[in-house]
Parts: sequence; C-alpha cells; structure tokens
Amino acid sequence: MIFLDRPGYNAIIKLLPDFEKRTGIKIKYQIVPYENTREKEELDFSSNGELTVALVDLVWIGEFAEAGWIVPFEEIKKKYPDIIDPNFDINDFIPLILNAFGTWQGKVYGPPFDNYSGLLYYNKDMLKEAGFDKPPETWDELINTYAPKLTKNSKYAFALQSRRGETQSCDSFMRFLWPWGGSLLDAKFHSNLGNPKSQEGLNFRQSLEKYMPPGIVDYDHSDAVNALAQGNVAMITEWSAFYSTLVDPKSSKIVDKLGVAPEPKGPDGRKPALGGFSLAVASQANDKQKAAAWLFIQWATGKEIGKQYVEAGGISGRQSTYKDPALLAKYPFIQPMLDSWQQGVPEYRPRFSEWSKLTDIIAEWGTKMMLNQVSVKQGSDEIGTRTEAVLKDAGYYDGKKPLAQ
Amino acid sequence: MAAIRISKKRFGIAHFVGLLLILFFCVFPFYWMVSSSLKDPQLILSQKPTLTFQPTLENYQDAFQRNVGGSLGISLFVALTTTALSLLLGTPAAYALARFDFRGKKDIWFWFITNRMVSPIVLALPFFLLASNFHLIGNPIVLVFIYLTFNVPIVVWICSDQFRGIPKELDEAATLEGYNSFSIFWRVALPLGAPGIAVSAIFCFIFSWNELLYALILMRRETQTAPVVATSFMSGYQVPWGQIMATGTLVALPVIIFSLIVSRQMVRGLTMGAIK
Amino acid sequence: MRKSGRALRTRSEARLSGKGKLMPIRAVPRKTYSNGVIFFLAPAVIVLLAVGIFPLLFAVWNSMHEFILSRARIYALHGQPFLWFQNYLGLVNDAGFRESLFRTFVFLLINLPIQLVLGLLIALLLHKVGHEWLKNICRVSLVIPLATTLAVVGLMGRLMFNSSFGVVNYAVATVISLFHSIGPLLQGHFQVLHGFWRHVVPSNMIDWLGNPNLAFATVSIMDCWQWTPFCALVLLSSLTLVPPEIEEAAKLETDRWWQVLWRVQLPFMLPGITAILILRTADILKMFDVVYTMTQGGPGNATDLISVYVQRVGFRQVDQGVASAQAIVLLIITIILSRIYIRYFYREI
Repeated sequence: MIFLDRPGYNAIIKLLPDFEKRTGIKIKYQIVPYENTREKEELDFSSNGELTVALVDLVWIGEFAEAGWIVPFEEIKKKYPDIIDPNFDINDFIPLILNAFGTWQGKVYGPPFDNYSGLLYYNKDMLKEAGFDKPPETWDELINTYAPKLTKNSKYAFALQSRRGETQSCDSFMRFLWPWGGSLLDAKFHSNLGNPKSQEGLNFRQSLEKYMPPGIVDYDHSDAVNALAQGNVAMITEWSAFYSTLVDPKSSKIVDKLGVAPEPKGPDGRKPALGGFSLAVASQANDKQKAAAWLFIQWATGKEIGKQYVEAGGISGRQSTYKDPALLAKYPFIQPMLDSWQQGVPEYRPRFSEWSKLTDIIAEWGTKMMLNQVSVKQGSDEIGTRTEAVLKDAGYYDGKKPLAQ
Repeated sequence: MAAIRISKKRFGIAHFVGLLLILFFCVFPFYWMVSSSLKDPQLILSQKPTLTFQPTLENYQDAFQRNVGGSLGISLFVALTTTALSLLLGTPAAYALARFDFRGKKDIWFWFITNRMVSPIVLALPFFLLASNFHLIGNPIVLVFIYLTFNVPIVVWICSDQFRGIPKELDEAATLEGYNSFSIFWRVALPLGAPGIAVSAIFCFIFSWNELLYALILMRRETQTAPVVATSFMSGYQVPWGQIMATGTLVALPVIIFSLIVSRQMVRGLTMGAIK
Repeated sequence: MRKSGRALRTRSEARLSGKGKLMPIRAVPRKTYSNGVIFFLAPAVIVLLAVGIFPLLFAVWNSMHEFILSRARIYALHGQPFLWFQNYLGLVNDAGFRESLFRTFVFLLINLPIQLVLGLLIALLLHKVGHEWLKNICRVSLVIPLATTLAVVGLMGRLMFNSSFGVVNYAVATVISLFHSIGPLLQGHFQVLHGFWRHVVPSNMIDWLGNPNLAFATVSIMDCWQWTPFCALVLLSSLTLVPPEIEEAAKLETDRWWQVLWRVQLPFMLPGITAILILRTADILKMFDVVYTMTQGGPGNATDLISVYVQRVGFRQVDQGVASAQAIVLLIITIILSRIYIRYFYREI
C-alpha cells in the first residue's frame, strides 16, 4: 500500500509491529510523494498491479468508486462476516467525516484516515501588540479591523497558500466561496460562480491581497506555515496537520505564542476547509488479500488504538477517541478541529471523477485572477464556461450521469 | 616582441580569472546545498542566510533512517551495470558507424538518436505493463535495460565522432601488419578514443543515476533508487529542507567520485592524442 | 580473417587513388562488406529494438484509441474505442497545448544559444594550455551541476531564489548596500541609478518565483546551470579532435584567437555542436522534473512547459490516449528539427 511522508502515516508505521504480531500479516508499504500518489495508484489499478489497500484522497473517491477499483463496505461484510470486528462500530465516526471521506452515492467504501480541517493559526504576540486579545471571529473583522493594524514594517497580517495546483483550487479558491454562500456548482451542476455571493467572496480575496506578502501566488503550504513560524505573518488558515510543525522548536520560532481557532465565519456561516483521506480495499486483490486488507484497515481506524494513534501524531476520525478531556487539553488544536467538523460542507470540493480536470482549470484561472491578469468576473466566466464544457462531455446535463458530488 | 609577451601575460591572468569564475559558477549552488544540509533546520529558513554556522549532522542522521544507504547501493548497481553494458554495446556500434560504409548507415545512426527523444511520460505505462508481465516489478534489472534505451545512443554518438577523428593511416598501418578489424578496434580505436569514451561513460552514469520517473513507477520500497528516496520527502504539505539537501548531497557524491576516477582516463587520452 | 584484411586493403587503395576524399561505394565490390560490421552493430541494434520497440508501438496504439485509466474496467469488458486520428485533431483546437508549445519554443530559443556559447567559452578556456591544476579542478567541477538530481535542482532553486530567505536576494541586497556605501562618491550618476533601482525593486526583495516573468527567468537560470557544463564537456572532447599540428600552425599565423576558432577549431566541433543541438532540443521538449518541483507550471501559466502539460493530461486527467498523441507529435517535431540541424550543421570530418 502507499503511504505519505506525513505524521499520520508515520504514526501508523510506529504502531505497525503490534498489528503484525497479533495477526501475523505482513504489511508492505511504500512512501511516495503526494504528487505522485494518484498516478502510482491509478497505474497500478488499471494494469492489475499489486496494491491491496487504496489510499483515497477526498477528491478521488468518486473516480475510484466509479472505476470499480474499491470495494464497498457492504460487500466486505457479506463476504467475510467473521473478520468484522463487532466493536468496529461504523457509527462512531464523526458523521461529517464518514460521509465526506468514505462515502460515495450513499455507499460506504472505507473508513476515514488521516483527516484534516482548516484552522486559523495565529501569533498571539503579534495580535496583542496590535491591541487584540483574541482572534477574529469573522472574515469581515479580519480584513477591516485586524489586517490594517497588523500589516507594517515588512510584517503582514495574513498569508494564503495559493500556488498553482490543488493548493490554489482547494485552499485558496474554495475557501472564499462557501463562507459567503457561493459555490462552484449549483443544484443542476451549472457554474455558480456568476452568483453575486460567489463574486463577493472572490472579490474579498482580491482585496485581502494587499495584506499578504508579495509573491503570495507562489506560496505553497510549507511557505505559508513557515511565514507564520518565523514570525513574518500574523495569521494563516491552514490544515490541522500542521499543528505539530508549528509547535516543534526545530521548525518554529513561535512555539509558545501560537494560538489556534476555527476558521473565521463568512456572511453565510463557518464553512472551513475539508481535506484528508480514507482507506479502502482494492478490488484487484484476491480474496485472501482482501480479507487481510480489511483487517488492517479495521485495526488502523479502530477504537482501540485511537488514543495511541493521536499520541503518536495521527488524527483519529472517531468520536470516542475525543471524549477524553486530558487528550483535548494536551492538543489545543483538537477542539477547534472538532468544532469545524460539525459545520463543514462535504461537497467543499466536488468529489466526482471530473474533479481532476476541474481542479486544473480552477488552479490556472484562480492564479491568473490573483495576479490581476484577468478580472474576477472574467476569470469566473472562464472557469464557468470550461467547467460546464467538461461536465457536459461527461454527461451530467443530459441525465447520463447522476448528479453526485 | 614585447607587445606579444605582454598580451600573452594579460591573457594568462584573464585565463586564470575565467577558470575561477567557472569554478564558482559550478560549485556555488552545490556548496549551498551542502551547507544547508549541515545547518540546523531552523537556520535554513531564517531571513538572513548565514555563511558561518555550527554544523550539525542531524539531517544526515534523519536521512539514513530512511534507508538512504540502501538506495545508494541499488542506484550504484543500476548505474554501473547499465554504463558497462552501454559501453559494451555502444562502442563497437560507434566504431562500425565511424569506419565502415554500408547502405543505410545514416539511417541507422539517426535511429539510434531517436531512441532518446520520446517523452518517458507516455512510455511509463507500457513499460509498467511489460515489466509486470515478466514479474519484474521491483527488480533493478528492469531499470538496467530500460536505461539502455537512452544510454546506448549517447555512447554511439559521442564515440563515433571520436573514432572518426582517429587518422585512418593508423588503421592502414595495423592492417598491413595483419590485424583484423576487431583487433584494430581493440588496440587502436579504443585507447585513442579514450576521452570520448570517458565522457560518454560519465554521462551514462549520471543520466542513469538521476533518472526518476521510471524508477518511481517500477520499483518497490526495498529496491528504490536514491533519487526516488530523495524526493519521497515531499509529502505535499511539508518540505523538510535540511533532509532534502542532505539526501541531495549524498546522491550527488557518488557521481562526482565516479567522474573523478574516470576523468583521469580523459586526461590520459588527451595527452596521448598529443604524443600519438 | 585474412579475407577481411584483404578487403580493407582494397578499400584503402581505392581511397588513396582518390583525392583524399572517401570514394563512393561503387568503387568497392559490394560483397566485401567487412563481416565485422554485423558483429559490431548487431548487439546494440538488437537490444534497443527488443527494449524500445514495444513501448513505442504501444504508445502509438494508445494515441489512436481512447484510453482513460479510470475506465479500465469498461475497456476490459467492451474494448477500447478506436478513434482514428481524433486525438491528434483535438490538439489543433487545444489552446493550452498550443500556448504551452509556443512557450517551450521561446524557452528553447533563449536558453540553447546561451548554453552553447557559454559552453564553448568554457571549453576553450579548458583547452588552452596553462594553469594545469586549476584546469583539472574545473574539469571535475563541471560534473557537479550535472550530477544533481533534477528534482533536487528544482528544490535548490526554490531555496536559493526564495524571496524572503533565499541567498540570491541576500546577495542582491548586499550589492545594493555596497552601492549605498560608495554612493556619495559617485554623486549625480548614482542618484539617478539609485532612484531607478528603487522604483523597480521597492523592497530589496526581488520576487523571483511569484512574478511570472522572473519565474521563467529563474527556471532558465537553473536549466543553464545544469546543462552548460554538458555542452562544455561535449565541446571539449570535440576540441581534442583538432590535430595539434594544424592548431599550432594556425596560432603562429595569427594572434587573434577568434580567427583560430572560426577557421580551424569550429569545423571539427560541428558534429559535437549538432549533437548538443539535437539532445538539448529533445531534452527541453521533455523537460519536466525541474519545473515541477520549482513552480508546478508557474504563477499563472508562466513556466508551463510542454511536458508539464503532457504530464498533467496523462496523469492528472489520466487521459493516456491524448497524452500519447501529444508525445508522438512532440517526437515528430523533434525528428524534424534534428533533420534540419543535421542538414545545416553537420559535417563529416
């Protein structure tokens, strides 16, 4: 199976020997850069390769499910009733997480694994200096009250990771649609970017640019996190997984000044960014492998190791894990993250198989908008036209494909 | 007389300065990589890049924890084997193209070159299918053979030019003494073509060593090559600069050592050319 | 064995009887190809055919069918739709493909001459007699840029050109502060220059990677850094082919090194130059790793070179059919360009 070089996976790797001892199943994994993960999995699945467990990013689930590469949970239950752990309790998973990450068109394929929420990280000291003793509650506050006071002397109020790629489409673009009541698609899957609410959000992003460092369009996650960690920027909205980087004295100068809060609210409420993965059994595995795969998945996301997993650096998707107050106190990011998960939007990014084409369109034009190479209206129109062309080709408009995202 | 001497002297200085500039140009980014690998990770990201610092080996320790050592071994095996094979296959072919005349010579020569022109992006899937049919996924031998497709053309190319530059009188002298074409190849062409052979060996080694796409797709964790390990750090959310620079340095070192060893051949060949 | 010896002698006699040029083949009885030719060539040809032909044919086959990886199961049941040349025709309408191709050619036209000329200068400096030990160090250090893994080169570029903590901006800032300290000595001129500079770079931090044009320049710089040594090494080994007597003679005739270069050395270097032209063209059309790790296609579209585009189609939109068609088109372009190079630059020596 494929793992990424991230804390969640390193945590599982640490706990692996325990699993192998108990079941005698040997787990072979490889660590691959995130950028290459999808292509490696796709190559493998489409040519009867050797992967038995699929690591499914939130946005790949539509594609993988439709291609028939992953096995639904119901089938596993039917085929191998005796390996299902009675304690597995699929309802223990936070509903939004299970729905967004592991479910497609009503069928559950696999439990969530390594999930994140967008959070507001801020530098307490910088805020205090400017006269604030708590983080902004809404985006309006952020831009009108907080930002002007925090942007001076080569320090900036905010950094938004916007590099062309998934970073642009997910972190930069989508983040400024949902909280304003806008969205990429409307109910009939036509472009909703022309809607005044979407436009408001996107224009907001443009006006936020003056409070962000120059060259922001090239910032990727590590650049934004680093800007905060080095004390150059006061606030960022980034994935919860970065908490460990920000409190590690080796990579951060603001360890004791770090504050964590849920993302600011927009006029339409708090709709934080949603990201992460799920684990599913690969269809191409033989029966014995499928059973072994399920045992692993069950164990990795199980109740028993939930707490250990978090201690080792991972993120569990289960409600039971978080009932422990000591755990909550030790990791201040958990509470904001749980709050965010209560209110998130599963369709934050459409998860159908056409997303790969759409994300490129959005990434290209989103960055052009931010560079002022096109106006917000022009850019949105372009994205709209192209998106509709893609969806038309795929058959969403004439009923060939169900409107599922 | 004096004018010539002065200008020669000025040229000598200019020559010296020019060489220094070349040295700086080549080495500085590398130096930066090495020094970053020795810096505390915090320091790398600080506002003012520092030229003096306390060196630390922790980045290397981290790197070795990730099985970088093993991958260096695999890369070494693959690169050496494919270089040796390329030379073995390529030098005779280069000699044939340089010395003999036959129908279709130009076309064969051009065909060799076109082997290197196709983008690996679209050959990745076919190679993957081919390799999995032969159950060779994860076996470094597969890389050795795939790399031949772009190494042999380089060898053929550079060496055929080199062989062509060897005066034919030497060939004739040898023939008169009764040597057959293979012996001529062995005793005359190869030694005199040493600079070209050395250069092409260096290139073969470098290109095989650094190749990333095929290695990423066709190898498994136990048999990953060094560049694959070096880039596996890029989780998409973090860029551990220190470790990457450390791995980058480790990956570049064997190539430099190899070139050092081989370039002595190159120098010998150059002086032999003068003596002849 | 003796037979082939005789054949050679006949050939060389035939040649000596000519005017020093190689006689056309009909002067030699056809049946006396040296047997050796087959043995010399065959191994290389056979191996390359065995390894290389199948994937290439498969790619061509792909380009004429629909092949979207996620539909693999459908294909297993119903077969892959045969598309004739639809994938190719689609490229004509694909504005992204056209723009990307254009951008790549601009990249080629800017960087290839730079690398050739710099490589030539370096090769000349290394060929010239003198400072032997420094020359040897230089020769070895030329390998260093080539030795670095492409992906790491991209990352190095990100590190060095980073606008906040990159060493390049630090150097620029140092130079500027040097200006400041000697400024008063220059008075008038300096004020103008300084004012102009301040206008262009307001904060001492040049945004190498965020500004589209500068990003393109940065990728070019890294590419030149890596491949100029390649050009230098190839040209250096070509220089060694120049017979020393001719070189000496020419140097005695004229003091001007560029005349020696033009008349005597260059003709011997033409095969090397052609090789560089062809190889670099093919490589730039295939160039992917460096751009990917440095800018992912750049702010907006600035560094979206053609292979980055093809990879996106082939592995992000997993449309291997269209990607194969694009790659075949690139192959054809490369072959055409190579033929042109050979026609105009190549001379048998």
